[in-house]
Amino acid sequence: MAKILVIEDDKAICEALINLLKNNNYEALTLDVYNDAIAEILKINPDLVLLDINLPALNGKQILKVLREKTNIPVIMVTSLNNETDEALSISYGADDYITKPYNPNILLLRIGAVLKRINRENNVLTYKDLIVNIQKGIITRNNHEIVLTKNEMIIFYYLLVHQNRIVTRDELMTDLWDNNEFINDNALTVNISRLRTKLKELGYKNIIETRKGQGYILS
Amino acid sequence: MKLKDFLKDHIYVFIISIITYFLILLILLALKIKAEFIVVISIIFFVNVILIFMIDYFRKRNFYNDLLRNINALDKSYLVLETIKKPEFYEGKLTTKGMYEINKSFIEEVNDIKGQVQDFKEYIEMWIHEVKIPLSSLSLKYSHDKNIMSELKRLEDYVENVLYYVRAENAEKDYLIKETDLDKVIKNVGLKNMDDLLLNNIEFKYTKTGIKILTDAKWLEFILNQIINNSIKYKRDIKNAYILIKTIETEDKITLTIKDNGMGIKKADLKSVFDKSFTGTNGHLKAKSTGMGLYIAKNLCDKLGHKITIKSKENEYTIVSISFGKNNFYQVLN
Repeated sequence: MAKILVIEDDKAICEALINLLKNNNYEALTLDVYNDAIAEILKINPDLVLLDINLPALNGKQILKVLREKTNIPVIMVTSLNNETDEALSISYGADDYITKPYNPNILLLRIGAVLKRINRENNVLTYKDLIVNIQKGIITRNNHEIVLTKNEMIIFYYLLVHQNRIVTRDELMTDLWDNNEFINDNALTVNISRLRTKLKELGYKNIIETRKGQGYILS
Repeated sequence: MKLKDFLKDHIYVFIISIITYFLILLILLALKIKAEFIVVISIIFFVNVILIFMIDYFRKRNFYNDLLRNINALDKSYLVLETIKKPEFYEGKLTTKGMYEINKSFIEEVNDIKGQVQDFKEYIEMWIHEVKIPLSSLSLKYSHDKNIMSELKRLEDYVENVLYYVRAENAEKDYLIKETDLDKVIKNVGLKNMDDLLLNNIEFKYTKTGIKILTDAKWLEFILNQIINNSIKYKRDIKNAYILIKTIETEDKITLTIKDNGMGIKKADLKSVFDKSFTGTNGHLKAKSTGMGLYIAKNLCDKLGHKITIKSKENEYTIVSISFGKNNFYQVLN
Protein backbone atom coordinates (compact mmCIF):
# COMPACT_ATOMS: atom_id res chain seq x y z
CA MET A 1 0.00 0.00 0.00
CA ALA A 2 1.55 3.25 -1.10
CA LYS A 3 2.03 5.92 1.56
CA ILE A 4 0.94 9.40 0.52
CA LEU A 5 1.71 12.54 2.47
CA VAL A 6 -0.73 15.42 2.04
CA ILE A 7 0.67 18.88 2.78
CA GLU A 8 -2.24 21.30 2.61
CA ASP A 9 -3.14 24.11 4.97
CA ASP A 10 -6.91 24.11 4.46
CA LYS A 11 -8.27 21.66 7.03
CA ALA A 12 -11.44 20.77 5.13
CA ILE A 13 -9.59 19.96 1.91
CA CYS A 14 -6.92 18.08 3.76
CA GLU A 15 -9.48 15.91 5.51
CA ALA A 16 -11.42 15.29 2.30
CA LEU A 17 -8.22 14.38 0.46
CA ILE A 18 -7.17 11.93 3.13
CA ASN A 19 -10.61 10.31 3.08
CA LEU A 20 -10.54 10.02 -0.67
CA LEU A 21 -7.09 8.47 -0.64
CA LYS A 22 -7.95 6.05 2.16
CA ASN A 23 -11.08 4.95 0.29
CA ASN A 24 -8.84 4.17 -2.64
CA ASN A 25 -6.48 1.92 -0.79
CA TYR A 26 -3.72 4.36 -0.07
CA GLU A 27 -2.19 5.07 3.29
CA ALA A 28 -2.69 8.80 3.71
CA LEU A 29 -1.34 11.17 6.33
CA THR A 30 -0.61 14.84 6.81
CA LEU A 31 1.69 17.20 8.67
CA ASP A 32 0.35 19.03 11.70
CA VAL A 33 3.01 21.71 11.78
CA TYR A 34 5.12 23.16 9.02
CA ASN A 35 7.96 24.44 11.17
CA ASP A 36 10.31 21.79 10.08
CA ALA A 37 8.50 20.40 7.07
CA ILE A 38 11.54 18.97 5.34
CA ALA A 39 12.73 16.96 8.32
CA GLU A 40 9.19 15.71 8.90
CA ILE A 41 8.83 14.60 5.31
CA LEU A 42 12.13 12.78 5.41
CA LYS A 43 11.18 11.10 8.67
CA ILE A 44 7.84 9.90 7.30
CA ASN A 45 9.49 8.85 4.07
CA PRO A 46 6.31 8.66 1.95
CA ASP A 47 6.00 7.13 -1.51
CA LEU A 48 4.50 10.35 -2.80
CA VAL A 49 3.90 13.90 -1.58
CA LEU A 50 0.90 16.06 -2.50
CA LEU A 51 2.23 19.54 -1.89
CA ASP A 52 0.21 22.76 -1.84
CA ILE A 53 2.02 25.77 -3.30
CA ASN A 54 0.55 28.28 -0.86
CA LEU A 55 1.39 27.33 2.67
CA PRO A 56 1.55 29.53 5.74
CA ALA A 57 5.09 30.38 6.77
CA LEU A 58 6.66 28.45 3.93
CA ASN A 59 6.29 28.51 0.20
CA GLY A 60 5.51 25.14 -1.39
CA LYS A 61 8.02 25.78 -4.16
CA GLN A 62 10.67 26.43 -1.53
CA ILE A 63 9.93 23.12 0.20
CA LEU A 64 10.09 21.37 -3.15
CA LYS A 65 13.44 22.94 -3.96
CA VAL A 66 15.03 21.97 -0.66
CA LEU A 67 13.40 18.53 -0.74
CA ARG A 68 14.84 17.83 -4.18
CA GLU A 69 18.34 18.49 -2.92
CA LYS A 70 17.93 15.64 -0.48
CA THR A 71 15.63 13.04 -1.97
CA ASN A 72 13.80 11.83 -5.05
CA ILE A 73 10.42 11.24 -3.45
CA PRO A 74 7.81 11.91 -6.15
CA VAL A 75 5.99 15.20 -5.61
CA ILE A 76 2.71 16.39 -7.12
CA MET A 77 2.16 20.12 -6.71
CA VAL A 78 -1.40 21.25 -6.09
CA THR A 79 -2.45 24.86 -6.39
CA SER A 80 -5.30 27.23 -6.96
CA LEU A 81 -3.03 29.42 -9.06
CA ASN A 82 -3.96 28.33 -12.52
CA ASN A 83 -1.04 29.62 -14.50
CA GLU A 84 1.63 28.32 -16.75
CA THR A 85 4.53 30.15 -15.10
CA ASP A 86 3.96 28.45 -11.78
CA GLU A 87 3.62 25.11 -13.46
CA ALA A 88 6.82 25.52 -15.46
CA LEU A 89 8.64 26.69 -12.34
CA SER A 90 7.37 23.76 -10.27
CA ILE A 91 8.37 21.28 -12.94
CA SER A 92 11.80 22.87 -13.22
CA TYR A 93 12.22 22.55 -9.46
CA GLY A 94 11.59 18.86 -9.90
CA ALA A 95 7.87 18.29 -9.35
CA ASP A 96 6.53 15.17 -11.03
CA ASP A 97 3.14 16.64 -11.82
CA TYR A 98 1.04 19.73 -11.23
CA ILE A 99 -2.69 19.78 -10.47
CA THR A 100 -4.98 22.78 -10.27
CA LYS A 101 -7.80 23.26 -7.79
CA PRO A 102 -10.65 22.55 -7.72
CA TYR A 103 -9.79 18.89 -7.97
CA ASN A 104 -11.61 16.42 -10.05
CA PRO A 105 -11.16 13.43 -7.72
CA ASN A 106 -10.95 10.89 -10.54
CA ILE A 107 -8.26 12.84 -12.32
CA LEU A 108 -6.37 13.37 -9.07
CA LEU A 109 -6.35 9.62 -8.42
CA LEU A 110 -5.29 8.97 -11.98
CA ARG A 111 -2.34 11.35 -11.71
CA ILE A 112 -1.27 9.81 -8.43
CA GLY A 113 -1.53 6.36 -10.00
CA ALA A 114 0.44 7.53 -13.04
CA VAL A 115 3.27 9.02 -10.98
CA LEU A 116 3.54 5.92 -8.81
CA LYS A 117 3.44 3.75 -11.92
CA ARG A 118 6.24 5.75 -13.50
CA ILE A 119 8.36 5.03 -10.47
CA ASN A 120 7.73 1.28 -10.72
CA ARG A 121 8.20 1.31 -14.44
CA GLU A 122 10.40 -1.76 -14.50
CA ASN A 123 7.49 -4.18 -14.42
CA ASN A 124 6.16 -3.96 -17.91
CA VAL A 125 4.93 -7.50 -17.46
CA LEU A 126 2.38 -8.24 -14.76
CA THR A 127 0.89 -11.49 -13.67
CA TYR A 128 -2.61 -12.51 -12.68
CA LYS A 129 -2.87 -16.02 -11.24
CA ASP A 130 -1.09 -18.02 -13.97
CA LEU A 131 -1.66 -15.40 -16.66
CA ILE A 132 1.25 -13.33 -17.93
CA VAL A 133 0.16 -9.87 -18.97
CA ASN A 134 2.43 -7.97 -21.31
CA ILE A 135 1.12 -4.41 -21.19
CA GLN A 136 3.36 -2.96 -23.88
CA LYS A 137 2.49 -5.63 -26.44
CA GLY A 138 -1.12 -6.01 -25.32
CA ILE A 139 -0.80 -9.76 -24.99
CA ILE A 140 -2.02 -12.18 -22.29
CA THR A 141 -0.46 -15.62 -22.20
CA ARG A 142 -1.36 -18.81 -20.37
CA ASN A 143 0.69 -21.95 -20.99
CA ASN A 144 1.68 -20.99 -24.53
CA HIS A 145 -1.88 -19.98 -25.32
CA GLU A 146 -1.85 -16.36 -26.35
CA ILE A 147 -4.57 -13.79 -26.86
CA VAL A 148 -4.22 -10.25 -28.15
CA LEU A 149 -6.12 -7.40 -26.50
CA THR A 150 -7.01 -4.16 -28.22
CA LYS A 151 -5.65 -0.95 -26.70
CA ASN A 152 -8.93 -0.20 -24.94
CA GLU A 153 -9.27 -3.70 -23.57
CA MET A 154 -5.73 -3.57 -22.24
CA ILE A 155 -6.33 -0.20 -20.55
CA ILE A 156 -9.41 -1.62 -18.84
CA PHE A 157 -7.77 -4.90 -17.84
CA TYR A 158 -4.67 -3.14 -16.57
CA TYR A 159 -6.74 -0.78 -14.44
CA LEU A 160 -8.76 -3.65 -12.97
CA LEU A 161 -5.59 -5.60 -12.33
CA VAL A 162 -3.82 -2.78 -10.53
CA HIS A 163 -6.92 -2.25 -8.40
CA GLN A 164 -7.56 -5.93 -7.90
CA ASN A 165 -10.11 -6.92 -5.25
CA ARG A 166 -11.65 -3.49 -5.13
CA ILE A 167 -14.75 -2.21 -6.88
CA VAL A 168 -13.80 -0.06 -9.81
CA THR A 169 -16.51 2.33 -11.00
CA ARG A 170 -17.35 2.83 -14.66
CA ASP A 171 -16.45 6.44 -14.10
CA GLU A 172 -12.90 5.56 -13.11
CA LEU A 173 -12.49 3.30 -16.13
CA MET A 174 -13.90 5.99 -18.39
CA THR A 175 -11.57 8.62 -16.95
CA ASP A 176 -8.60 6.35 -17.44
CA LEU A 177 -9.56 5.63 -21.05
CA TRP A 178 -10.05 9.31 -21.85
CA ASP A 179 -6.79 10.09 -20.14
CA ASN A 180 -5.20 7.71 -22.63
CA ASN A 181 -6.77 9.61 -25.52
CA GLU A 182 -9.46 6.98 -26.09
CA PHE A 183 -12.58 9.13 -26.10
CA ILE A 184 -15.16 6.34 -26.11
CA ASN A 185 -18.80 6.44 -24.97
CA ASP A 186 -20.80 4.38 -22.50
CA ASN A 187 -21.87 1.75 -25.02
CA ALA A 188 -18.34 1.24 -26.25
CA LEU A 189 -17.18 0.70 -22.68
CA THR A 190 -19.83 -1.98 -22.16
CA VAL A 191 -18.85 -3.63 -25.45
CA ASN A 192 -15.16 -3.53 -24.54
CA ILE A 193 -15.77 -5.13 -21.19
CA SER A 194 -17.85 -7.92 -22.63
CA ARG A 195 -15.19 -8.57 -25.31
CA LEU A 196 -12.56 -8.63 -22.61
CA ARG A 197 -14.63 -11.17 -20.69
CA THR A 198 -14.99 -13.35 -23.79
CA LYS A 199 -11.24 -13.27 -24.38
CA LEU A 200 -10.51 -14.17 -20.77
CA LYS A 201 -12.98 -17.00 -21.04
CA GLU A 202 -11.00 -18.34 -23.97
CA LEU A 203 -8.06 -18.61 -21.59
CA GLY A 204 -10.19 -20.52 -19.14
CA TYR A 205 -11.00 -17.72 -16.77
CA LYS A 206 -14.73 -17.36 -16.66
CA ASN A 207 -16.45 -14.64 -14.66
CA ILE A 208 -13.32 -13.22 -13.12
CA ILE A 209 -14.63 -9.74 -13.84
CA GLU A 210 -17.78 -9.45 -11.80
CA THR A 211 -20.40 -6.75 -12.23
CA ARG A 212 -21.56 -5.11 -9.03
CA LYS A 213 -24.85 -3.57 -9.88
CA GLY A 214 -24.91 0.19 -9.55
CA GLN A 215 -21.31 0.27 -8.40
CA GLY A 216 -18.96 -1.04 -11.02
CA TYR A 217 -16.68 -3.98 -11.66
CA ILE A 218 -14.33 -6.02 -9.60
CA LEU A 219 -11.53 -8.33 -10.62
CA SER A 220 -11.36 -11.10 -8.07
CA MET B 1 -4.85 80.73 -37.27
CA LYS B 2 -6.26 82.54 -40.27
CA LEU B 3 -5.53 86.20 -40.94
CA LYS B 4 -9.09 86.85 -42.07
CA ASP B 5 -10.59 85.47 -38.86
CA PHE B 6 -7.97 87.25 -36.78
CA LEU B 7 -8.89 90.59 -38.37
CA LYS B 8 -12.59 89.89 -37.96
CA ASP B 9 -12.00 89.23 -34.29
CA HIS B 10 -10.24 92.59 -33.94
CA ILE B 11 -12.82 94.62 -35.86
CA TYR B 12 -13.35 96.88 -32.83
CA VAL B 13 -9.73 98.07 -33.05
CA PHE B 14 -10.39 99.12 -36.65
CA ILE B 15 -13.57 100.92 -35.77
CA ILE B 16 -11.95 102.77 -32.86
CA SER B 17 -8.92 103.62 -35.03
CA ILE B 18 -11.09 105.02 -37.81
CA ILE B 19 -13.18 107.06 -35.38
CA THR B 20 -10.00 108.35 -33.73
CA TYR B 21 -8.57 109.11 -37.15
CA PHE B 22 -11.62 111.18 -38.12
CA LEU B 23 -11.50 113.05 -34.81
CA ILE B 24 -7.81 113.83 -35.34
CA LEU B 25 -8.60 114.82 -38.93
CA LEU B 26 -11.31 117.23 -37.74
CA ILE B 27 -8.91 118.78 -35.22
CA LEU B 28 -6.18 119.11 -37.85
CA LEU B 29 -8.63 120.74 -40.32
CA ALA B 30 -9.90 123.09 -37.59
CA LEU B 31 -6.32 124.16 -36.88
CA LYS B 32 -5.92 124.79 -40.63
CA ILE B 33 -2.82 122.68 -40.90
CA LYS B 34 -1.37 122.29 -44.36
CA ALA B 35 -2.57 119.37 -46.48
CA GLU B 36 0.97 117.92 -46.81
CA PHE B 37 1.23 117.56 -43.04
CA ILE B 38 -2.19 115.99 -42.81
CA VAL B 39 -1.14 113.35 -45.37
CA VAL B 40 2.09 112.61 -43.46
CA ILE B 41 0.24 112.34 -40.13
CA SER B 42 -2.39 110.05 -41.75
CA ILE B 43 0.32 107.74 -43.15
CA ILE B 44 2.09 107.58 -39.77
CA PHE B 45 -1.22 106.82 -38.09
CA PHE B 46 -2.18 103.98 -40.45
CA VAL B 47 1.31 102.46 -40.60
CA ASN B 48 1.17 102.43 -36.79
CA VAL B 49 -2.19 100.61 -36.73
CA ILE B 50 -1.10 98.06 -39.36
CA LEU B 51 2.23 97.43 -37.60
CA ILE B 52 0.53 96.76 -34.27
CA PHE B 53 -1.78 94.28 -36.03
CA MET B 54 0.97 92.51 -37.92
CA ILE B 55 3.23 92.10 -34.90
CA ASP B 56 0.37 90.84 -32.77
CA TYR B 57 -0.73 88.40 -35.50
CA PHE B 58 2.69 86.88 -36.13
CA ARG B 59 3.51 86.47 -32.47
CA LYS B 60 0.35 84.49 -31.91
CA ARG B 61 0.20 82.69 -35.24
CA ASN B 62 3.16 80.38 -34.64
CA PHE B 63 1.97 79.32 -31.22
CA TYR B 64 -1.62 78.58 -32.16
CA ASN B 65 -0.77 76.91 -35.45
CA ASP B 66 1.69 74.55 -33.73
CA LEU B 67 -0.86 73.82 -31.05
CA LEU B 68 -3.66 72.95 -33.46
CA ARG B 69 -1.45 70.97 -35.83
CA ASN B 70 0.05 68.87 -33.04
CA ILE B 71 -3.31 68.17 -31.44
CA ASN B 72 -4.47 66.68 -34.72
CA ALA B 73 -1.26 64.80 -35.35
CA LEU B 74 -0.92 63.17 -31.92
CA ASP B 75 -2.87 60.04 -31.11
CA LYS B 76 -2.79 61.01 -27.46
CA SER B 77 -3.61 64.70 -27.84
CA TYR B 78 -3.37 65.39 -24.12
CA LEU B 79 0.41 65.24 -24.51
CA VAL B 80 0.40 68.27 -26.85
CA LEU B 81 1.85 70.68 -24.32
CA GLU B 82 5.09 68.73 -24.31
CA THR B 83 5.47 69.15 -28.06
CA ILE B 84 5.16 72.89 -28.55
CA LYS B 85 7.46 75.83 -27.81
CA LYS B 86 6.59 77.97 -24.80
CA PRO B 87 4.86 81.15 -26.06
CA GLU B 88 6.43 84.56 -25.54
CA PHE B 89 3.22 86.54 -25.28
CA TYR B 90 1.08 87.02 -22.19
CA GLU B 91 -2.18 85.40 -23.38
CA GLY B 92 -0.27 82.36 -24.60
CA LYS B 93 1.45 82.02 -21.26
CA LEU B 94 -1.89 82.18 -19.48
CA THR B 95 -3.38 79.62 -21.86
CA THR B 96 -0.56 77.13 -21.45
CA LYS B 97 -0.54 77.58 -17.71
CA GLY B 98 -4.26 76.85 -17.58
CA MET B 99 -3.84 73.84 -19.83
CA TYR B 100 -1.04 72.49 -17.68
CA GLU B 101 -3.20 72.70 -14.60
CA ILE B 102 -6.14 71.01 -16.29
CA ASN B 103 -3.86 68.31 -17.63
CA LYS B 104 -2.34 67.68 -14.25
CA SER B 105 -5.61 67.27 -12.42
CA PHE B 106 -6.95 65.12 -15.24
CA ILE B 107 -3.95 62.81 -15.10
CA GLU B 108 -4.27 62.55 -11.33
CA GLU B 109 -7.89 61.60 -11.75
CA VAL B 110 -7.08 58.98 -14.38
CA ASN B 111 -4.29 57.50 -12.24
CA ASP B 112 -6.63 57.33 -9.34
CA ILE B 113 -9.15 55.35 -11.37
CA LYS B 114 -6.42 53.19 -12.87
CA GLY B 115 -5.30 52.35 -9.37
CA GLN B 116 -8.82 51.48 -8.37
CA VAL B 117 -9.26 49.21 -11.38
CA GLN B 118 -5.94 47.52 -10.66
CA ASP B 119 -6.86 47.00 -7.02
CA PHE B 120 -10.17 45.57 -8.06
CA LYS B 121 -8.53 43.17 -10.53
CA GLU B 122 -6.07 42.00 -7.93
CA TYR B 123 -8.87 41.53 -5.47
CA ILE B 124 -10.85 39.48 -8.00
CA GLU B 125 -7.84 37.26 -8.77
CA MET B 126 -7.25 36.70 -5.08
CA TRP B 127 -10.92 36.06 -4.49
CA ILE B 128 -10.96 33.46 -7.26
CA HIS B 129 -8.08 31.60 -5.70
CA GLU B 130 -9.87 31.68 -2.40
CA VAL B 131 -13.22 30.56 -3.73
CA LYS B 132 -11.50 27.57 -5.29
CA ILE B 133 -10.66 26.20 -1.86
CA PRO B 134 -14.25 25.52 -0.76
CA LEU B 135 -14.99 24.39 -4.34
CA SER B 136 -12.18 21.86 -4.03
CA SER B 137 -13.30 20.49 -0.75
CA LEU B 138 -16.86 20.19 -2.04
CA SER B 139 -15.78 18.29 -5.12
CA LEU B 140 -13.66 15.98 -3.02
CA LYS B 141 -16.50 15.34 -0.61
CA TYR B 142 -19.25 14.80 -3.17
CA SER B 143 -17.25 13.09 -5.90
CA HIS B 144 -19.77 10.25 -5.93
CA ASP B 145 -22.76 12.53 -6.59
CA LYS B 146 -23.11 13.28 -10.30
CA ASN B 147 -25.66 16.04 -9.82
CA ILE B 148 -23.60 17.98 -7.34
CA MET B 149 -20.48 17.45 -9.42
CA SER B 150 -22.15 18.80 -12.54
CA GLU B 151 -23.34 21.92 -10.68
CA LEU B 152 -19.87 22.33 -9.22
CA LYS B 153 -18.40 22.13 -12.68
CA ARG B 154 -20.71 24.89 -13.86
CA LEU B 155 -19.71 27.01 -10.91
CA GLU B 156 -16.08 26.34 -11.65
CA ASP B 157 -16.52 27.30 -15.30
CA TYR B 158 -18.13 30.61 -14.36
CA VAL B 159 -15.32 31.35 -11.93
CA GLU B 160 -12.73 30.54 -14.61
CA ASN B 161 -14.53 32.88 -17.00
CA VAL B 162 -14.05 35.77 -14.63
CA LEU B 163 -10.43 34.86 -14.01
CA TYR B 164 -9.56 34.80 -17.71
CA TYR B 165 -11.57 37.94 -18.38
CA VAL B 166 -9.40 39.75 -15.85
CA ARG B 167 -6.27 38.15 -17.28
CA ALA B 168 -7.11 39.02 -20.86
CA GLU B 169 -7.40 42.66 -19.89
CA ASN B 170 -3.95 42.87 -18.37
CA ALA B 171 -2.05 40.19 -20.13
CA GLU B 172 1.39 41.63 -19.49
CA LYS B 173 1.93 39.16 -16.71
CA ASP B 174 0.57 35.71 -16.23
CA TYR B 175 1.26 33.98 -19.47
CA LEU B 176 4.08 31.89 -20.73
CA ILE B 177 4.46 30.81 -24.30
CA LYS B 178 6.34 27.59 -24.74
CA GLU B 179 6.30 24.47 -26.83
CA THR B 180 3.12 22.68 -25.89
CA ASP B 181 1.83 19.21 -26.65
CA LEU B 182 -1.48 19.79 -28.41
CA ASP B 183 -2.64 16.22 -27.69
CA LYS B 184 -2.30 16.85 -23.98
CA VAL B 185 -4.27 20.11 -24.09
CA ILE B 186 -7.10 18.48 -26.03
CA LYS B 187 -7.08 15.46 -23.74
CA ASN B 188 -7.39 17.72 -20.70
CA VAL B 189 -10.32 19.57 -22.24
CA GLY B 190 -11.93 16.24 -23.12
CA LEU B 191 -11.48 14.92 -19.59
CA LYS B 192 -12.86 18.10 -18.12
CA ASN B 193 -16.04 17.76 -20.18
CA MET B 194 -16.25 13.98 -20.18
CA ASP B 195 -19.32 13.76 -17.95
CA ASP B 196 -21.28 16.32 -19.96
CA LEU B 197 -20.28 14.75 -23.26
CA LEU B 198 -21.31 11.27 -22.15
CA LEU B 199 -24.51 12.51 -20.57
CA ASN B 200 -25.49 14.32 -23.77
CA ASN B 201 -24.44 11.43 -26.01
CA ILE B 202 -21.98 13.53 -27.92
CA GLU B 203 -19.15 11.66 -29.50
CA PHE B 204 -15.76 13.28 -28.95
CA LYS B 205 -13.58 12.51 -31.95
CA TYR B 206 -9.90 13.21 -31.89
CA THR B 207 -6.88 11.17 -32.86
CA LYS B 208 -3.45 11.83 -31.40
CA THR B 209 -1.12 13.69 -33.74
CA GLY B 210 1.97 14.42 -31.68
CA ILE B 211 1.96 18.00 -32.98
CA LYS B 212 3.64 20.61 -30.82
CA ILE B 213 2.65 24.27 -30.90
CA LEU B 214 3.85 27.48 -29.30
CA THR B 215 1.26 28.73 -26.85
CA ASP B 216 0.33 29.07 -23.21
CA ALA B 217 -1.19 25.69 -22.38
CA LYS B 218 -3.51 27.00 -19.65
CA TRP B 219 -4.91 29.75 -21.82
CA LEU B 220 -5.41 27.45 -24.78
CA GLU B 221 -7.16 24.96 -22.53
CA PHE B 222 -9.52 27.70 -21.42
CA ILE B 223 -10.18 28.77 -25.03
CA LEU B 224 -10.91 25.23 -26.19
CA ASN B 225 -13.05 24.64 -23.13
CA GLN B 226 -15.22 27.62 -24.13
CA ILE B 227 -15.66 26.22 -27.63
CA ILE B 228 -16.49 22.70 -26.42
CA ASN B 229 -18.87 24.13 -23.82
CA ASN B 230 -20.71 25.95 -26.58
CA SER B 231 -20.87 22.80 -28.69
CA ILE B 232 -22.42 20.93 -25.78
CA LYS B 233 -24.80 23.75 -24.90
CA TYR B 234 -26.03 24.22 -28.45
CA LYS B 235 -26.25 20.61 -29.55
CA ARG B 236 -29.15 19.24 -31.52
CA ASP B 237 -31.13 16.25 -30.35
CA ILE B 238 -29.95 13.95 -33.08
CA LYS B 239 -28.62 10.44 -33.00
CA ASN B 240 -25.04 10.94 -34.07
CA ALA B 241 -24.12 14.20 -32.35
CA TYR B 242 -20.37 14.69 -32.44
CA ILE B 243 -17.49 17.06 -31.88
CA LEU B 244 -14.68 16.46 -34.32
CA ILE B 245 -11.28 17.96 -33.64
CA LYS B 246 -8.65 17.98 -36.35
CA THR B 247 -5.26 19.53 -36.89
CA ILE B 248 -3.93 20.56 -40.25
CA GLU B 249 -0.27 21.36 -40.58
CA THR B 250 0.93 23.48 -43.46
CA GLU B 251 4.30 25.05 -44.18
CA ASP B 252 3.81 28.20 -42.14
CA LYS B 253 1.08 27.36 -39.67
CA ILE B 254 -0.90 24.76 -37.78
CA THR B 255 -4.66 25.02 -37.82
CA LEU B 256 -6.87 23.39 -35.25
CA THR B 257 -10.51 22.95 -36.22
CA ILE B 258 -13.34 22.04 -33.90
CA LYS B 259 -16.44 20.98 -35.76
CA ASP B 260 -19.79 20.05 -34.28
CA ASN B 261 -23.09 19.13 -35.87
CA GLY B 262 -25.17 21.17 -33.46
CA MET B 263 -27.67 23.96 -33.89
CA GLY B 264 -25.28 26.19 -35.80
CA ILE B 265 -25.41 29.97 -35.84
CA LYS B 266 -27.74 32.22 -37.84
CA LYS B 267 -25.98 34.03 -40.64
CA ALA B 268 -26.98 37.39 -39.21
CA ASP B 269 -25.46 36.49 -35.83
CA LEU B 270 -22.24 35.05 -37.17
CA LYS B 271 -20.27 38.28 -37.44
CA SER B 272 -21.07 39.28 -33.86
CA VAL B 273 -20.28 36.06 -31.99
CA PHE B 274 -16.97 37.40 -30.73
CA ASP B 275 -18.51 40.66 -29.48
CA LYS B 276 -18.77 41.42 -25.81
CA SER B 277 -22.08 40.37 -24.24
CA PHE B 278 -23.48 39.17 -27.56
CA THR B 279 -25.93 36.33 -26.98
CA GLY B 280 -27.65 35.99 -30.36
CA THR B 281 -30.68 33.89 -31.18
CA ASN B 282 -29.24 30.69 -29.72
CA GLY B 283 -28.26 32.41 -26.50
CA HIS B 284 -31.79 33.68 -25.98
CA LEU B 285 -33.17 30.26 -26.79
CA LYS B 286 -31.10 28.63 -24.07
CA ALA B 287 -31.38 31.51 -21.63
CA LYS B 288 -28.11 30.50 -20.00
CA SER B 289 -25.72 32.52 -22.06
CA THR B 290 -23.63 35.40 -20.74
CA GLY B 291 -22.16 36.25 -24.12
CA MET B 292 -18.71 36.47 -22.57
CA GLY B 293 -17.15 33.09 -23.41
CA LEU B 294 -16.21 33.65 -27.03
CA TYR B 295 -15.37 37.30 -26.39
CA ILE B 296 -12.78 36.29 -23.81
CA ALA B 297 -11.56 33.45 -26.02
CA LYS B 298 -11.01 35.86 -28.90
CA ASN B 299 -9.26 38.33 -26.63
CA LEU B 300 -6.90 35.67 -25.36
CA CYS B 301 -6.23 34.45 -28.90
CA ASP B 302 -5.35 38.00 -29.96
CA LYS B 303 -2.95 38.34 -27.04
CA LEU B 304 -1.29 35.01 -27.84
CA GLY B 305 -1.13 35.84 -31.54
CA HIS B 306 -3.45 33.03 -32.63
CA LYS B 307 -6.14 33.62 -35.20
CA ILE B 308 -9.63 32.42 -34.35
CA THR B 309 -12.42 32.24 -36.91
CA ILE B 310 -15.86 30.73 -36.99
CA LYS B 311 -17.99 29.27 -39.76
CA SER B 312 -21.46 27.88 -39.45
CA LYS B 313 -24.63 26.80 -41.16
CA GLU B 314 -27.81 26.86 -39.19
CA ASN B 315 -29.07 23.41 -38.18
CA GLU B 316 -26.02 21.78 -39.74
CA TYR B 317 -22.65 22.58 -38.29
CA THR B 318 -20.32 25.03 -36.57
CA ILE B 319 -16.60 25.04 -37.25
CA VAL B 320 -14.20 27.03 -35.10
CA SER B 321 -10.65 27.28 -36.39
CA ILE B 322 -7.62 28.47 -34.50
CA SER B 323 -4.34 28.90 -36.32
CA PHE B 324 -0.98 28.92 -34.66
CA GLY B 325 2.03 30.43 -36.35
CA LYS B 326 5.17 28.36 -36.66
CA ASN B 327 8.22 30.01 -35.27
CA ASN B 328 11.27 28.91 -37.17
CA PHE B 329 13.57 30.91 -34.95
CA TYR B 330 12.41 28.94 -31.96
CA GLN B 331 12.96 25.65 -33.75
CA VAL B 332 16.48 26.63 -34.74
CA LEU B 333 17.28 27.42 -31.12
CA ASN B 334 16.17 23.97 -30.10
